Amino acid sequence: MIRTNKVCRHYIRGPQIIKAVDEVSLAIEEQEFVAVVGSSGSGKSTLLNLLAGLDSPTAGSIEFRGTTLNNLSRRGLSQYRAKSVGIMFQSFNLIYHRTALENVELALYFNGGSRGERRTQATSILERLGLADRMGHRPADLSGGEQQRVALARALVKKPALLFADEPTGNLDQDNATQIMALLSDLNRQGLTIVIVTHDLEIAGEYAHRMVRMHYGRLVDHQSEGHGGEA
Amino acid sequence: MTFRDLVAISAGNLSRMKLRTFLTVSGVVIAIGTFVAMVSFGAGNQKYISEQYEELGLFSTLQVHRLSKTAAGDSTQARPLDQQALNELSKIPGVRLAYPFDAMTVTAALADSQLSAKAQALPLSAMQTRLFSQFRAGHSFSSDSAKEVVVTPQLLHLFGLTHPDSLIGDTMVISIRVATIDSGLAGLIPRDSGWIRQQVRAIQFDSLLQSAYRQRQAKRLTNEAISRFVNGFFEHRAIVKETLTVVGVLEERGAGRTRMEPIVLPVAIAAKFRSSGLSDDPSALFTAFSQGTVFSLDSAASSRSYPQITLDIDPNVPLKAISDSVRAMGFEPFSFAQMFEEMQKFFFYFNLALSVVGLIALVTASLGIVNTMVMSILERRREIGVLKSLGADDRHIRILFLVESGVIGAVGSVVGILVGWGVTRIASVIIKQFMMKSGVGPIELFALPLWLILTAVAVGIVVSVAAGYYPASRAAKVDPVEALRNE
Repeated sequence: MIRTNKVCRHYIRGPQIIKAVDEVSLAIEEQEFVAVVGSSGSGKSTLLNLLAGLDSPTAGSIEFRGTTLNNLSRRGLSQYRAKSVGIMFQSFNLIYHRTALENVELALYFNGGSRGERRTQATSILERLGLADRMGHRPADLSGGEQQRVALARALVKKPALLFADEPTGNLDQDNATQIMALLSDLNRQGLTIVIVTHDLEIAGEYAHRMVRMHYGRLVDHQSEGHGGEA
Repeated sequence: MTFRDLVAISAGNLSRMKLRTFLTVSGVVIAIGTFVAMVSFGAGNQKYISEQYEELGLFSTLQVHRLSKTAAGDSTQARPLDQQALNELSKIPGVRLAYPFDAMTVTAALADSQLSAKAQALPLSAMQTRLFSQFRAGHSFSSDSAKEVVVTPQLLHLFGLTHPDSLIGDTMVISIRVATIDSGLAGLIPRDSGWIRQQVRAIQFDSLLQSAYRQRQAKRLTNEAISRFVNGFFEHRAIVKETLTVVGVLEERGAGRTRMEPIVLPVAIAAKFRSSGLSDDPSALFTAFSQGTVFSLDSAASSRSYPQITLDIDPNVPLKAISDSVRAMGFEPFSFAQMFEEMQKFFFYFNLALSVVGLIALVTASLGIVNTMVMSILERRREIGVLKSLGADDRHIRILFLVESGVIGAVGSVVGILVGWGVTRIASVIIKQFMMKSGVGPIELFALPLWLILTAVAVGIVVSVAAGYYPASRAAKVDPVEALRNE
C-alpha cells in the first residue's frame, strides 16, 4: 500500500547534518497494523510525517498505491492528506474554540461535499465513537480520552485508506489508552490500514501486527506477527 | 471549501477577538466615513448643479453670440446678430425656438416709488420654455401684446418687497426716456444766422494751400458738428409710458449666462419703446454708432443687432449638428450641455481630490489590519498546522486570511458609510441654517448616490484585502510540521 525506498530526512543545522530519518526502506501492506517504536529522537515521528505527506524527504522515495509522493506538488500532497490519510496526534491538536462536532467537520472542508453532508457524516462518526452527547462541547470541556476520540473521529470522518497515529496514547491514562487502542484495533479489523508511532512497547506488542524499531533515524529491527493479529 | 464556509470561519475567528477586531474595524470605519463625507460633498454639489440644469432646461438650450474679433479674423467683419440672423437660426433643423436677448433701461414705478432698472423683451413662446416657466407667484403674460409685465425677485428686492404674491395684479408704470435722431440732426445746423459768416471770415484763405491748416480746420468743424449733434440728441428727450399689470414673479435665477433682467416685457410693448427712439443711455448711442445703425433706429428693427440669441433645441437632435450649423452661419454657439460636460470633468477631479483625504485615513487603517492579521497568524500557527494536516493547501490558508481581512473591510465600509452619512446630515442641517440666516435658500450640499456607496464598499474591501495579502501569504507558507511541533 505504502512503501519507502531508502527515504531520508536530513536537516542542516549550521555545520551539522542531522539525519532524522536515514535510508529507511519499509513496506506497509493493505489492512496492516504497524507500530513504529523507538526511543525519543529516534526519528519515528519524522518518518510518520513523511508517510503522512506533512513533510518531504531529502532523498529516497515514498510510494502510495503506485503514486510517488515525491513527485506531487504542494497541492497534490494536500489532496493526498485530504482524501487518503487520517492523522492523530499525541496532544490531540483539536481547535480549542470549536466544538467537537465543528472540529470533526473541519476535516471535510477540503474534501468536497455540502454543509449538510458534512454535518451528517461528522455526527455519525461521533455517535459511532460514543460521543453523541459531547458534540456541542468544546475540547476544554472534554476529558483526555474524549478529546482523543474526537481527534480519531476527525481522522476517520473522511474515510481514509491509511490512519497515522503519533503517540495516540501518550497523553492518556491506562483506561483511556486501552479504549483508544481497542478502537484502533477494531477499525483495523474492519479493513483500515494503521500506522502508529509509540514508545510503549507493550501497547505496540499487544495491538500491532508488526513492529518496526528505529534508532538514530535508521530502521534497526522488524518484528512480525505481534499479538495484534490474534487479538 | 465554499465562499460561505470561508466567511463563516472568518467571522467566527474575528468574533473571538472582539476588542482587537473592534479597534481594527474602527480604523476602517473612520477612514470610510471620512471618504464618504468628503466625496458626498462633491457629489452633492454635482447633483445640485445637474438638477438646476435639468430644471432650467439648459441641456436643450443653446446661446448664439457674434464671433469674437480673433475668431472672425482680422480681415472678416463679424456677422451681426440681427433679425435676418434670427430668422436663419430659427430655421436650423432641431431648433424649436429662437429669440433674442433684447434689453433696455427703463423706469419702473410702483405705487409711490419708482426706480431705474433693466428690462428685457421675451416672446410668449420663450416664456413657455423651462428656462422661464418657473414662477414664484402668478404666471406668464397672456400674449405678446398684452399690457402685462413679469418681474424677477430682484425687482421685488429693489422695491423692498418680500411677498411675491402681494405684487400680482398691481399696476406698474414702465417709462423710457428716448432721444430722437431728428433733434440730433437739427442740432447739427447752428441756429445763429451769422454763424456761416463768422466761419467764412475766420478762414485764412491763403493758408488753405497748406495741408496742415486744412486738416486743423476740418477737425475743428467736425468736432463742433458732433458736439452739436450729441447735445441736440440728448436735450430733446421724450418720455414714453406704458401702464402694465404685474402678472407673475419668476423664480430666483443665479448670475451668469442664465441671468435675467428684473423686468420682462412682452415683445410688442418692448417694440413700442424701441420704435419711439433711442434710449437716453449714452452707451445706446455709442452702440448705435459702432453698429452703424444711428440713422435706421426709427424705422428698421431688422437692422438692430442683439448681443445674444437663445435657441431652444430638440433634445433628440444631436447638439453637435446644430452647433455646426450655427458656426457655419458665422456665429459662435455656446452650449450648456458642453459646459456641463466640462463641469463633470471638473467634479471628477474635485471628488478625486476630496477622496484623497479619506484614502490617506484608509492607508493608516490598513496598517492596523496588517498588524491584526500578523498577530492572528502568530497566535494561530497551530491551527494553521492542523488545517494543513487535514488537507488545506497554501491557497486555502491564503484565502482564509484574505477573507478575514475582507470581512474587516466590508463591515468597516458598511458602518463607515452610515457614520459618514450621519456626519453629512449633521453638517447639512448646520449649513442650511447658516444659509437661511444669510437669506440664501437652503441648498442640499451633500448627496449619497449609489455609485458612492458601491465605491466606498469596494475601496474598503480592496484596501483591506490588499493589507491582508502579506499576512495571508505568510500564513500560507507556515510549515505544518513546525506548526504542530510548536505546542
